[in-house]
Amino acid sequence: MTALTLTLRPGMQGRVDMSGILPEKLAGLSAAEIVRLNVAVDGLGAALGELFELTAGDAEQLTIRTELPVLDKLGAGMCSGCLRVEGPAGHYAGLAMRGGELALGGDAGDYAASGMLGGLLHIAGNAGDYLGAARSGDRNGMAGGVVAVSGSVGERAGDRMRRGLILIRGNVGDYCASRLLAGTIAVAGSCGAQPGFGLRRGSLILARAPHAMPTTFNTAGIADLTYLGLLRRQARDILPDVLPETSRVQRYMGDLAFGGKGEILVAT
Amino acid sequence: MIINGVLIDDTYAEAFGMKATRIIITADSLTWAKHAANAAFGFATSVIACGCEAAIEQELTPEQTPDGRPGVAGLLFAVSTKELVKQLERRVGQCVLTCPSTAVFAGCTGEEQLPLGKNLRYFGDGWQMSKVIAGRRFWRIPVMDGEFLAEESSGLLRSVGGGNFLVLARSRGQALTACEAAAAAIAGLPGVIAPFPGGVVRSGSKVGSKYKALPASTNDAFCPTLRGVANSELSSEVEAVLEIVLDGVTQADVAAGMKAGMQAVLAIGAAGGIVRLSAGNYGGKLGQYHFHLREILA
Repeated sequence: MTALTLTLRPGMQGRVDMSGILPEKLAGLSAAEIVRLNVAVDGLGAALGELFELTAGDAEQLTIRTELPVLDKLGAGMCSGCLRVEGPAGHYAGLAMRGGELALGGDAGDYAASGMLGGLLHIAGNAGDYLGAARSGDRNGMAGGVVAVSGSVGERAGDRMRRGLILIRGNVGDYCASRLLAGTIAVAGSCGAQPGFGLRRGSLILARAPHAMPTTFNTAGIADLTYLGLLRRQARDILPDVLPETSRVQRYMGDLAFGGKGEILVAT
Repeated sequence: MIINGVLIDDTYAEAFGMKATRIIITADSLTWAKHAANAAFGFATSVIACGCEAAIEQELTPEQTPDGRPGVAGLLFAVSTKELVKQLERRVGQCVLTCPSTAVFAGCTGEEQLPLGKNLRYFGDGWQMSKVIAGRRFWRIPVMDGEFLAEESSGLLRSVGGGNFLVLARSRGQALTACEAAAAAIAGLPGVIAPFPGGVVRSGSKVGSKYKALPASTNDAFCPTLRGVANSELSSEVEAVLEIVLDGVTQADVAAGMKAGMQAVLAIGAAGGIVRLSAGNYGGKLGQYHFHLREILA
């Protein structure tokens, strides 16, 4: 059975809050019921059918097509099923996602995977700032699940991240893994300034050494870490070639200003 | 029933429900994984005085292990969950944690979880780190050769212990040769172990003793030197009896182990000095599982 498809009508003005447009919510609803569902456009209510053209199909394999990056909170709170987005996503994609798979075919805006608790978020393009980070007022950022980014990511990726795995094949901006509480971020490309600023626990794994290691990190020398073998196996099926091929890495302990129990690992 | 000149007694092995778990030990090389496993499972022949029965179940290739290194899978059996928890922690803590380059993982899932690295992590003195990978929690404990990686817990298996058969032969050498073949056949099977040295027992026991302090004593009915004074089960041509004891994850695993072992003995047959196959039981009153030799070989 083909996927239920929502195609954004041309000429869309304003930002759309896509909270609640989820595979598990649409499953069991008729096409007429789906088009009557309410979404917010710039804070004002609108019927889904006014914004999207619907093609009937399997709601558990929901597809959303868009030419514009105006759809925010795609997959927010999603628990099961598969949501594919063809085109650029807005901000807060995968917000507080709990399960299932959210596949973004293009770029993602800021705060993707913020508050994520489970499931898989795959971003085929680039992601903006604050990937997996805590929103203002939240204690923690991402606290579970896996995020795989084929492209590059902006600043503050993983800020106050609590648990989970972020795989980035491209480059990351400044302050990657800032204030990280736990969890793992792996980057295959280059890394901006001040990686691991305020890192408490958790791991930032870099394929290339940053231009300058923060002064609040001390080298622990070369380490052969068995757990990297497990991590590599997990990542292989999601986004291969991000983790170092070897488990022998240069280990830096820090942030010493915040307890020093976190680590930045650099491939040897 | 006579197969290849060997009489199969119309009897059965009596086995018991046990609590078990499977763990996987990996290391930089198979040699070091086996060093750890042999130490952890070394003094684990019988629950009578070892606390548990344990042995290597099978060797694993790097493709079969969680961390992509060579390793072994081992099974541990105990009479209670409490005792299994104690033995698992003690043996992994003293024999695997201490062994260079090793890591330990759960080899099974279960409704109940047994602590594996959960308490051993405190050896890290605050420097231990947790990693949740693919939904499973691991502990990274700093040690002098790097890190000891231990999965937080392993699953509890409700299993079967005490499957057995007796090999009656014309000489000790012939009995031993046949039992070596049986142990080799069993070693290739998943889900079953023969926990005694080399997989073979010479001191089969009966329940009770003339001495009040002892829960078990020598099986005089199968001791050739007591023929003529004890109520012997042995005919005149039998000079030695050896036993194979098996513990399995399931009843079917024990039956498969007994079948493979007995078939290996029967392949040697009367020409190799084998006289009879029998089994140990307690009259059917103690164990909930009965493995009838003739049914298994039919």
